[in-house]
Amino acid sequence: MRISDLFKMGIRNLSRRKARTILTVLGVVIGSLSIIIMRSIGYGMENNFDTQIMQQGGLTTITVNTYGEIYDDNGNWMGSKEQVLDDNLVEQINQIDHVRAVSPMMRMDITLLSGKYQGWGDITAMDMDVFEAFDFPALTFGEYPTEEDNSTIIFGSNVPYEFYDPTSRFYTPKVIDVQKDKLALKFNRFQADPKKREFNLPLKNIAKMEQTNGEFDHQTYMDIEYFKKIYLKYCNTLALSDRKEAVKQIQNYQSIKLNVDHINNVIEVQDKIKELGFQSYSQMQYLQPLKEASNTLQMVLGALGFIAMLVSAISIANTMVMSIYERTKEIGIMKVLGCVIKDIRKLFLFEAGMIGLFGGFIGISLGYLSSWLINKFGQPLFGALMSGNYMYDMTNTKFSIIPIYLPLASLAISIAVGLLSGYFPARRATKISAIEAMKTEG
Amino acid sequence: MKDNAENIIEVKSVKKIYRMGKERICAVDDVSFTIKRGEFCCLYGVSGSGKSTLLNLMAGIEKLSSGQIIIKGKNIHKMGEKGLAKFRQNNLGFVFQSYNLLNSMTALENVELPLIFKHVRAKKRKKMAKDMLVKVGLGPRLKHRPKEMSGGQQQRVGIARAFVSNPEIVFADEPTGNLDSKTSKEVMDLIKEMAKVNHLTIVMVTHDIRLTQYADKIIHIFDGKIEEIEVVKHDEPSEEQETPENNGNQDYLESDENGENEGAEKDVGAGELIPEVS
Repeated sequence: MRISDLFKMGIRNLSRRKARTILTVLGVVIGSLSIIIMRSIGYGMENNFDTQIMQQGGLTTITVNTYGEIYDDNGNWMGSKEQVLDDNLVEQINQIDHVRAVSPMMRMDITLLSGKYQGWGDITAMDMDVFEAFDFPALTFGEYPTEEDNSTIIFGSNVPYEFYDPTSRFYTPKVIDVQKDKLALKFNRFQADPKKREFNLPLKNIAKMEQTNGEFDHQTYMDIEYFKKIYLKYCNTLALSDRKEAVKQIQNYQSIKLNVDHINNVIEVQDKIKELGFQSYSQMQYLQPLKEASNTLQMVLGALGFIAMLVSAISIANTMVMSIYERTKEIGIMKVLGCVIKDIRKLFLFEAGMIGLFGGFIGISLGYLSSWLINKFGQPLFGALMSGNYMYDMTNTKFSIIPIYLPLASLAISIAVGLLSGYFPARRATKISAIEAMKTEG
Repeated sequence: MKDNAENIIEVKSVKKIYRMGKERICAVDDVSFTIKRGEFCCLYGVSGSGKSTLLNLMAGIEKLSSGQIIIKGKNIHKMGEKGLAKFRQNNLGFVFQSYNLLNSMTALENVELPLIFKHVRAKKRKKMAKDMLVKVGLGPRLKHRPKEMSGGQQQRVGIARAFVSNPEIVFADEPTGNLDSKTSKEVMDLIKEMAKVNHLTIVMVTHDIRLTQYADKIIHIFDGKIEEIEVVKHDEPSEEQETPENNGNQDYLESDENGENEGAEKDVGAGELIPEVS
């Protein structure tokens, strides 16, 4: 048989028994529709989850603090312990698999002075080699520190907006143009030795980051070596009693930050650090249980869709079996007239496949429609269902997202279900003896 | 021997045994005969004599228990399903007692069916089917479905379907079994006419002695065995007379048992046949 004839005959056979074909197609529609809806809701949840935590940023970042928090297996706080963070530990952490970059980190309160205005802030000193690995944003001007000149001080995009006049009775924020206005830096911790000149570092090499709406915006960064250098200079201006205390501050690092190559490896790396005897902190460790809960929910949704598909598979198989009983005579006649067995099988498979295709197609269209409806009107239901997990931006949240592969996959599944459940009936059809078949009423 | 006198069908000691539980029923018991190209052969016998089974064996619809059936020099019982299907497409046509038309299709589509299996293009096939239906006198009924036609018309469609792919052999299983005698005659005349024009070989199964008058060769079957092979000699075709057919003539005189069925076979002789239609 030619393909076109196969097509024509198949369509004719399907349309001959409209009611039954429609009911079977309906079964497939429900099956593929439920797969699409379930999966799209699952995908929507996952997507929301990811965007939420992406906004928080630093998902691949692990921090080891001087004071490590200790939790038991249920996440209850057990206390904290002091840990010594030194270059040796930095090196050890660097050896762990999946660690992309490690940097010791120190933080220090500073005051920025510009004429009569001043701003509070704290400076974060890190190894300049890892800035890139930690996804530091691009700069609006200036340059990141280099080997030749590591004296750059890098402002987050919001830092220059936080200046004020301390002599004024009102707090009126003042925007400093860090490119034009003169700036100087002071450390706050200790009072200067009255006999010495107060430490005051004029800032010449300034860079400013682009806005990220994240953790970088309010921070000021500096290379750790340069930081140590200016800090020691500062120490020299202090009274002797304070100086010892001040130097001690930078003997060990306050924290160690490391970046892991992938979100999925964060927990693994944290376990390794634990083996080294250090407590660490990451956002992932809090998100992990949420993620697992969300995965379970998705599996449940997927299982529901799968069951619906299974039911429709049985429905197709039933239709095809009935169709063979009804058409036994027809099959016999076709055989005697010289129809090759392969063609008979093809005909039945084609019919089953068409049911799958139609059903899948309609299911996809309805899937898009219901996805739209869910996003438009499903807020009260889904909002209540999900708000317990994490904060939601309710107005813009999409509860159901259909990724591009979903309709394709569901169509493929529908057709596959059709073919599969049509296969055994089709095989049966070819095995009918032509003589017996022709004797039956039909 | 001349070309057109060659044996197109050879049946050699064919047996067909059915197993019904523990019983074995020998439907066809050691049957041998030959049919020549262009011959109108009639398998005649009472119902249950095994004539239909024999036809089905020859058509390759049923499998042999033993023996050989050679059609056009090919051992058809040795062919696979696919080979057999192709062989049927190209060489065989079928006319059935119960017409066996597909009720969902129009007359035209029914006639087209064998051509569909033969991969003939839609346009060409439609024309062939139409021509054939016009030939059998159903020109105005192309679009009718089987249920909308009389038995005679349905059988005409069946005949058109059997002849449309221009086969060399047409098997007819009680083609007039469901028809009244007037229609039967029309249908038989049609088959005979079509066979003659295209010089086809016809193998027809019947239990109606009146139909044997159309045949060139009548094979009497009783209880799965050949009782008698009777060759009718017509006046017109000269080649027919040249071929010696010893068995048939010898057996003819011994045919006593036929008397039980109907008394008409005495008329069937060496000369012209007288139509017995009432």
